[in-house]
Amino acid sequence: MNVEITGLTRRFGKTMAVAGVDLHAGPGVFGLLGPNGAGKTSLLRMMATAVPPTSGRLRLLGHDPGRYGPRREIRRRLGYLPQSLGYYPGFTVAEFVEYFALLKELPTAKIPAAVAAATERVGLDGQARARLRTLSGGMLRRAGIAQAIVNEPDLLLLDEPTAGLDPEQRVAFRALLRDLGQRATVVVSTHLVEDVAAACTQVAVMDRGKVVYLGTPDELTARGQGHDVGDAPLERGYSAILAAARS
Amino acid sequence: MTAASAPVRARPRPVTRGPGRSAARLLLLELRHSPMPWLLPLVAALFWATTYRKVMALPPQWYPRAGTMQIGALLAFASPVIGAAAWTAARDRRRHTGHLVAVTARPRWTRLLAPWAATTCWALAGYLACVAVVYGQTAGQATGGGPLWWPVIVGAASLPAFAALGFAAGTLLPGRLTAPLAAIAIFFVLALSTELIVGSRSYWSVSPIVAYPWDNGPNAGVATFYPYLPDLSIAHVLFLAGLTAAVLGALGLSPDAGGRWLRRAAAASTAAGLLAAGTATVLAGTGRMDAHGMIAIPALHDAASDRPLRYTPVCRQAPVPVCLNPAYAEYLPAVAGALRPVLSEIAGLPGAPARISQAAATYQQGTGNEVGIFLAGRVLAGQPPVYRLLLPDQFDGPQLTTAELAAQVRSSTGPGILASVVGDPAGSAAQQAVLAALITAARCPAPGGDCPVPFADPRQTTRGTGPRRGGARRAGSPEPGPTLDIPAVRPGTPAYAAARRFATLPAPARHAWLVRHLAALRAGQITLRQLP
Repeated sequence: MNVEITGLTRRFGKTMAVAGVDLHAGPGVFGLLGPNGAGKTSLLRMMATAVPPTSGRLRLLGHDPGRYGPRREIRRRLGYLPQSLGYYPGFTVAEFVEYFALLKELPTAKIPAAVAAATERVGLDGQARARLRTLSGGMLRRAGIAQAIVNEPDLLLLDEPTAGLDPEQRVAFRALLRDLGQRATVVVSTHLVEDVAAACTQVAVMDRGKVVYLGTPDELTARGQGHDVGDAPLERGYSAILAAARS
Repeated sequence: MTAASAPVRARPRPVTRGPGRSAARLLLLELRHSPMPWLLPLVAALFWATTYRKVMALPPQWYPRAGTMQIGALLAFASPVIGAAAWTAARDRRRHTGHLVAVTARPRWTRLLAPWAATTCWALAGYLACVAVVYGQTAGQATGGGPLWWPVIVGAASLPAFAALGFAAGTLLPGRLTAPLAAIAIFFVLALSTELIVGSRSYWSVSPIVAYPWDNGPNAGVATFYPYLPDLSIAHVLFLAGLTAAVLGALGLSPDAGGRWLRRAAAASTAAGLLAAGTATVLAGTGRMDAHGMIAIPALHDAASDRPLRYTPVCRQAPVPVCLNPAYAEYLPAVAGALRPVLSEIAGLPGAPARISQAAATYQQGTGNEVGIFLAGRVLAGQPPVYRLLLPDQFDGPQLTTAELAAQVRSSTGPGILASVVGDPAGSAAQQAVLAALITAARCPAPGGDCPVPFADPRQTTRGTGPRRGGARRAGSPEPGPTLDIPAVRPGTPAYAAARRFATLPAPARHAWLVRHLAALRAGQITLRQLP
């Protein structure tokens, strides 16, 4: 298992952002659905080793991220795209990706090829020399994805990756996710159920810090039969799950 | 619940080869995006306005120029370097990239060192360019000695320390105001640190903008006759290296800075840095101004530095040879020209100096901030006698043009030379009259001229031999030379008339009389009536 989570909690002051989540995931694309404040981002940040859990057990790529050495090993094999992507406006796309390749301790000799491959996979090879300040929001998002995949991660965590992408880019991105999911565990936190339907092999629905549903997108769709809230079948399943959880 | 049960595919751990290359590549990226090069034009303008013009206005001698450049360059570079470093350190907070970089494998401490090193590299490049301009021009103008590298090293060692301080400020307080506040703070800290220095012995001398005994200033006479003392510079470099190591080390102490060994290395760096900085401060506090005008620190002092430098003086016949240290060669024509009328009067007289030779000054710390500057040893020394003079540049005070310097030499040293031939200026009336006549004959007759007018004002006295300029402070004189007072001859007195009479004699007649009667005159055996 690339991701082994048992009874994981995270508290910010009096707010329990993640309240006892159990989750196990191997290679494949794993969707995290949920309303705002459900705890998706907090869970993702714990999986990214950005914040430690308050309690519970977390093992990533076979290592305990609570200790420095294993955490560093996890980070070498981790890709992370936060919800709000910060960037250095003066860097070019290639420099930005290279910078993170260096921080992820990729072998120096492999970096130029890795940077070229990552920018090409997100369709930014033509803008590799463009400064980040000159890019559109969608292009910036793709640059963020490029830095996340430059080390060919075994665990890729994407928080709202398709926000700001146009429909064409979104389709291409879903194909990329499916491709990456062949080898790595890709966890995608999103509001967009169509992303889940198109790319994910597994999906979890979170609400108020807890996983209230775990299964395949098809099973989630099936849960929506007879439920009239939502336009698409998967949306109806999602709404039904949330309604059931809240009732 | 289990989302998927596919087995984890084993993947060989990526091996980072060539960590040096990786660090170099990271540094290259940071160099490209450092704000420091954008500030270099501002620094260059500051350096030009506050330092370059000042340094180039100094005599073309290494000691005053190097010391002034050290101080000026530090003040010009400190604020921009600290500001740039603080701005860079706060980058992740400003750009919201903190989460992104925090989850990368490279330890936080080593990640922070790259932008610090980039800021330092750019600052060093700018600093060395400034040094190259000043030293290049000085090398073309200086006629003696060689470049002093210790002040340059102190300046170079200051920049990593400033960058480290700025970086620490930006890392610990990553706000937008941190950079300007840090830049302003360092300027005041540096400027105010010197206010606490009283005398040559002060712990505050460890401040790198103290390039010389603070009360003595960039004295051109220092490090010309004796080697430059690196004692204070060594303390500065030790302090700055320690400060850099301590501050950078402190950044690596936080739990998220790196692994156990890395944090131990950071702790060791902090401890070693604090020890070095503390030791340097204590050493600087034991310093004292030595007899050659530089700060000597007993624990760092090399006795070999107390031996005078060997040099071949540059001389000019005027008609007695006037010889200067080669570092002052540019003044030789003017000085020889200024003394020519004086020396023409005494050349060939028994006991007259066979040579006028520039000598080293000796320095003495007085009470508080007073510094005494004397001629070391006797004014007249050796056989045949050599008259030893100090040029006005060897004293503390405002800068003089060559013409002003020559005028001072004539007005102060000229009477001194004549007095050394005639004898005690406060001796017999005949001695006073002859001395006054010779001073007048040596083209110093008119009021308002270069030379004092011993006939004009009964209250006036003429200072001889030792030039004295504004700002110079003397605690006393061991020999009758430097502060020789020549009493004026009062109008209406017999001495006045005799002096007038003697001064109007043709020079050959005056000279011939002196050849015959100088010994008796010096012995006080000549009366006014016996004067021709």
